[in-house]
Amino acid sequence: MLRNSGLLALTAAVALGAATAVAADTPKKGGTLVLVSSQVPRHFNPAVQSGIATMAPGAHIFATLVRADANWKLHPYLAKSWTTSADGKSVTFKLRTDAKFHDGKPVTSADVKFSIETQKANHPFKTSLGAVADVETPDSHTVVVKLKNPHPALTLAMSTSIVPIIPKHVYGDGQNPKTHPRNIKNVVGSGAYILKEYKRAQYILLERNPNYFLKGRPYMDRIIYRIIRDSSSRTIAMEQGDGHMYPFMSEVAAIARLKKSDKLVVTDKGYAGIGPNTWLAFNTKEGPTADVRVRRAIAYAIDRKFITGQLHRGVSTASTGPIVPGSPFYTKDVETYDVNLKKAEALLEEAGHKKKDDGTRLELTIDYLPAVQDVQQRIAEYARGQLKKIGIKVTVRNSPDFPTWAKRISNWQFDMTMDLPFNWGDPVIGVHRSYLCNNIKKGVIWSNTQQYCNPEVDKILAAAGQETDPAKRRALYVKFQQILAQELPVYWIAVLPYHTAYNKDLGGPPVGIWGIVSPMDDIYWKKQPK
Amino acid sequence: MNTPPPAVPAEEPVVIEVERPWREAWRMFRQNTAAVAGLVTLTLIVLVTVLGPFVYPVDPFAPTGPLLLPPGEQGFLLGTDQQGRDLVVGLLYGSQSTLMVGAAAAAITITIGILFGALAGFYRGWVEEVLMRITEFFQVLPPLLLAMVVVLLFSPSIYSISIAIGVVSWTSTARLVRAEFLRLRELDFVKAERAIGARNARIIWTIILPNAAPPLIVSAALSVGVAILFEAGLAFLQLSDPNVMSWGYLISVNRPQILEAWWPVTFPGLAIFITVLSVSLIGDGLNDAFNPKLRQR
Repeated sequence: MLRNSGLLALTAAVALGAATAVAADTPKKGGTLVLVSSQVPRHFNPAVQSGIATMAPGAHIFATLVRADANWKLHPYLAKSWTTSADGKSVTFKLRTDAKFHDGKPVTSADVKFSIETQKANHPFKTSLGAVADVETPDSHTVVVKLKNPHPALTLAMSTSIVPIIPKHVYGDGQNPKTHPRNIKNVVGSGAYILKEYKRAQYILLERNPNYFLKGRPYMDRIIYRIIRDSSSRTIAMEQGDGHMYPFMSEVAAIARLKKSDKLVVTDKGYAGIGPNTWLAFNTKEGPTADVRVRRAIAYAIDRKFITGQLHRGVSTASTGPIVPGSPFYTKDVETYDVNLKKAEALLEEAGHKKKDDGTRLELTIDYLPAVQDVQQRIAEYARGQLKKIGIKVTVRNSPDFPTWAKRISNWQFDMTMDLPFNWGDPVIGVHRSYLCNNIKKGVIWSNTQQYCNPEVDKILAAAGQETDPAKRRALYVKFQQILAQELPVYWIAVLPYHTAYNKDLGGPPVGIWGIVSPMDDIYWKKQPK
Repeated sequence: MNTPPPAVPAEEPVVIEVERPWREAWRMFRQNTAAVAGLVTLTLIVLVTVLGPFVYPVDPFAPTGPLLLPPGEQGFLLGTDQQGRDLVVGLLYGSQSTLMVGAAAAAITITIGILFGALAGFYRGWVEEVLMRITEFFQVLPPLLLAMVVVLLFSPSIYSISIAIGVVSWTSTARLVRAEFLRLRELDFVKAERAIGARNARIIWTIILPNAAPPLIVSAALSVGVAILFEAGLAFLQLSDPNVMSWGYLISVNRPQILEAWWPVTFPGLAIFITVLSVSLIGDGLNDAFNPKLRQR
């Protein structure tokens, strides 16, 4: 053991030396980066549209006030500095004075105010800026955000294209920002790249912004998103070197295959902020799953280790609660329901579901999101097999398309469903929505469709959303995770195995918490590809 | 030389030995080696389908081994699929629904086809106009697309899939039956029936239809094969019943892994190929058997 740790220290020292050597290797300018992607954007204005398709290129085109690294630490971007008042209800941003939009006009406090107001009025993530009461602009490069209540998630939301800074002189002309013609043509931001061309469902061409306010950057001359709908074709494009980077890869077989390539690096880093959780949701109001004992029995029958280790061949990690591992608020100190079929049967017995002559105790249905087969259909089918062992006859319901599934689930016509909601950085943005009593909204998908309601949880979440002290805030979220793991409105299974494959000659890969939903001004070719 | 003619008992009629048409057809069929091979293969498949679940009573969806195990390893003759399910079991149980869909869809095809074709061909006039316009309407719709729409409307299940396939493939049968009726209704024995005052229903069902049977049987046999292929095609597009094991389902769920593991897709594919081939061979054999002149040409 001792010898091992000595060896480890030595390896670490060597690795550190190597890291320093690489850091000394100054980034080189020039070259083209080709990304392969399945996502077809509707337009490029992330102030009024969520979804990776818009947010990723949007983050290269539009600069934001702050930016984040791989450790959830925030750094200056358009804002030089920011301070929060003692009561947490006012945040002051000092802007850089040298930042200009792609059309040459300076970025001022008026643009920031306009951006925040436009986002608040139009963006689907209502909680990201919902607490904003007013935006003051004492001078052209100072912005004071006044809040109704403390909102510690504010700066994190501003560190990616959830809150992009858009030019008032372009988008403030009175037209509806959701359908503004400049969302797709002549898009003007202040980010590292300028949108040159978009051929719908074919490619997105971004070119280097020569007047970017961070001198010397970006290093790439252009970024091209090649849109390829078929996943096997994307894999082959990477293998043949036609693509240099393949983000948001979720097919287990493709990940395993590309990992074998000696030309590529495959990493699961870059998704901590997005936090894609895969879970089995229960109808907690109607049917047998309204009984918490039935939900616990189901949890005891489903083996997360088998799913992550076998079905996903070790490329995904287990998810034990509403907040994904990788978030600073995550705790593993919760009930984990390690597989135990005896306990599961005992719980069903206790809940009054006696074994009938044919060995079944009760019947349930399971739905799944008709996408990302590996983390939906395959888990649903595995669950059916496991639940049969404890006497639950499960019928898998296949939805031919997304609207069919969304209609069923949002109208609460289900027993159980597989689903994959994202955390989106701060729990306030992506986690609260699934568990709050007042977010039980019939007909709205990705609201609290489990119809779970616990006033105590509501109270904890309300307090946690406003707590400015990080330690106290974490304590509240730990409590929240523990209560939910006891009551199981959903059984969390795994983090979606998102991976990025990239050419090994690339330096500065996007491994921050937001992955490619970031400026991408620090990526470069160590050696130009042939 | 003057021998008297042999005494013919007055009470016994003269019997001229004519081979019955069905027996003749069977004789012709037996002479066709390919058709017999098809029949033997299909009989084996049906036997395995019926007896398999008794010999091997397991849950076809239950994982029984490691995932994607190559054929022959650890006692898995054909290997395992992406969920660790034994492919032998999958093929065994899958044949049930595949054959059932094939038979049910063919039954629907024949039923609608006969109904439309017989009425149109017998009554002619406005009945024919209306029925044939409807048939043409279904003929111009792309069958796979129409089947997809029907399956989507009722959500994928073994019933909706059978109905969808039946609904898109009855048109050629209808036209065939109509042509036969047009031909037969003018023949003397039909006219004779009419002359002695037989009702229309009797003429249609007991006089003309049995005489139109030979081409219908051929068409029915071929439509079973088409239906099986259709079921596999729909499953390939993820339009299969996830609660019923079928060959098409096996292909559809294992397709993403095809670059790594060929066996979970290849074996169900081969099973479909062999089944459809044997059904087609039988159909061809029947065709030759019922049209001996055609064969001699």
